[in-house]
Amino acid sequence: MVHARRGSIGRYYDVNGWLFVAPVLGLIGLFMIYPIVWSLWMSFQSGRGMMMKFAGFANIVRLWNDPVFIKALTNTMTYFVVQVPIMIVLALILASILNNPRIVGRGLFRTAIFLPCVTSLVAYSVLFKGMFAPDGVVNSTLATLGVISSPIPWLTHPFWAKVLVIIAITWRWTGYNMIFYLAALQNIDRSIYEVARIDGVPAWARFTHITIPLLKPVILFTTVISTIGTLQLFDEVYNLTEGRGGPSNATLTLSLYIYNLTFRFMPNFGYAATVSYVIVVLVALLAFFQFFAARERDK
Amino acid sequence: MDNLARAYLPRIAGLALASVSFLAVTAAEAKEITIWCWDPNFNVAIMKEAGARYTKTHPDVTFNVVDFAKTDVEQKLQTGLASGTADALPDIVLIEDYGAQKYLQSFPGAFAPLSGTVDYSGFAPYKVEVMTVDGQVYGMPFDSGVTGLYYRKDYLEQAGFKPEDMQNLTWDRFIEIGQQVEEKTGKKMMGLDPNDAGLVRIIMQSAGQWYFDKDGKTNVTGNPALKAALETVGKIMSANIYKPAAGWSDWVGTFTSGDVATVVTGVWITGTVKAQPDQAGKWGVAPIPKLSIDGATQASNLGGSSWYVLESSAEKAEAIDFLNEIYGKDIDFYQKILQDRGAVGSLLAARGGAAYEQADPFFGGEKVWQNFSDWLAKVPSVNYGVFTNEADTAVTAQLPALTQGMPVDDVLKAIDAEVSAQIQ
Repeated sequence: MVHARRGSIGRYYDVNGWLFVAPVLGLIGLFMIYPIVWSLWMSFQSGRGMMMKFAGFANIVRLWNDPVFIKALTNTMTYFVVQVPIMIVLALILASILNNPRIVGRGLFRTAIFLPCVTSLVAYSVLFKGMFAPDGVVNSTLATLGVISSPIPWLTHPFWAKVLVIIAITWRWTGYNMIFYLAALQNIDRSIYEVARIDGVPAWARFTHITIPLLKPVILFTTVISTIGTLQLFDEVYNLTEGRGGPSNATLTLSLYIYNLTFRFMPNFGYAATVSYVIVVLVALLAFFQFFAARERDK
Repeated sequence: MDNLARAYLPRIAGLALASVSFLAVTAAEAKEITIWCWDPNFNVAIMKEAGARYTKTHPDVTFNVVDFAKTDVEQKLQTGLASGTADALPDIVLIEDYGAQKYLQSFPGAFAPLSGTVDYSGFAPYKVEVMTVDGQVYGMPFDSGVTGLYYRKDYLEQAGFKPEDMQNLTWDRFIEIGQQVEEKTGKKMMGLDPNDAGLVRIIMQSAGQWYFDKDGKTNVTGNPALKAALETVGKIMSANIYKPAAGWSDWVGTFTSGDVATVVTGVWITGTVKAQPDQAGKWGVAPIPKLSIDGATQASNLGGSSWYVLESSAEKAEAIDFLNEIYGKDIDFYQKILQDRGAVGSLLAARGGAAYEQADPFFGGEKVWQNFSDWLAKVPSVNYGVFTNEADTAVTAQLPALTQGMPVDDVLKAIDAEVSAQIQ
């Protein structure tokens, strides 16, 4: 047997070692690698339900000529471009306010702002749907305050439906990002701020020149996480629009489109796999750009 | 290596023993037929009634009727069929007619053909047609979605209209009445969900057309019925005689709450309308309004569904026999579900039964069932094809553009482009 051989290379041939990791490797292979490889293979096939045929690059060609896909992609990118910056900035501001020890009851505020992110996605979507109904609490409040004269068609107008989705996901995820910033803020040495204060640096400059640069790794992390989350946006839109991405496909996301292609329309698993690879490529590209933009410029 | 084998042997043996005992347990179970359907007031209750009738003569067979939302039934079915694991699937499933061809064509061999067992000549031909693939007939035809115009007599009377005025309407007249109803009573004429193309489908089929022609080719840009249907919905929207609804339950709420004066939909809604006892005697039913184009009728269809037996089912033989005994032959059963649930079945022989002759006190003593039965015979037959869901999505996507003043021909072109891209 191999027990005779020892040393760094010998480790690779040690049966006992392999046996220990074999169950994990097997499970990863079966439930992660195999589906990924298989879905890649599927993306080159097309057909109805179980009647799949090899189609080469036909699915990729189809992407270009599919107005619904283009619409879903545009919507997803709109959410990403509008919502992620708003949320990150909001989370940063909230975190630095709530990091101030002089704020009374900041534990309460922290909990309140973090709480949305532990609520069920479905439950809060349904609740939002009720709150933003034509005669719901939001419209009646705005009307009482005299901000609007007729109710805003939150769920039935293409523009306002998008706004509603952005409000919903911002409400849900801002607290989540804030917690990361709070944790990171507590790791910044207080003496740096002390020095800055003694040197007469104003509060705003302390924020932009000390807090933000020192939080950069965390900001990068939350941006990447939020990008992935936004590109995979599904639950909120599904529940707010009864799975349709309406009105007029205005809230349709790529994930919802994949779902429709698989479960609502004539099932075309090949094309659905192709669309899901679009998300993979987008996430990879965007994450790469974010890392590139935030790289350390060592002189 | 010997050491290794010795260490693993007991485990392998244990595993083998465990699986054997598991098999033994499943074999000992009684014959239970599992059924998936979606409306507790309608097909779920009807299936329980059917099961109770069958168990009387076959005490060894029991039923497990599972109640999901309709979209959940469809999506669970589609996932189960795609994964190929039969244990996740029921023995009998209810499928809406629009989707039947989709399942039958994309999952060949998944459903049991019933051609040899069931006598299909006794059923409404259009129901049999939607479940036929390559000459084989699958499924047991169930309810019809023949449409009617349900209207609040009290509201219309306040606005100065008698039941006679509601009988031979055109859609233009319907909109005029709607404007007067709102003027006099402050009530909207109807509830409308801008994300549901149901009304477009009703109007289109009433003139004998569909998104697809008889050969299954896309029929959008040159489809006068679809064009007229879109124009009509556009007029309803711009006349603002509708109460907007977001989603199905919201839409149902528009008439159960008494906020609207009419409902245009399939006969299966009767149970829901009658579920408001305080509105008894206030409702009437008329044929739906008519388009002013060639081939227009006052009869149409919305939804309707049928039962399908899964080929992989362990209780396949019992399930088929059950459907054939009750849904294929039991005339008395059809009278019961009509009176209790407002289900207009598609077994033609059932229409001679006493229940169809009876007047319904909820509708002020009108013979509504006889009317629906007459209208059913006039429903124009169309080919639903396999892409109705896709076409429907394309239509709803373009509805807002229509209300914002986009010319109908451009809307049709946009729908056509979207549908064509989906059909591969």
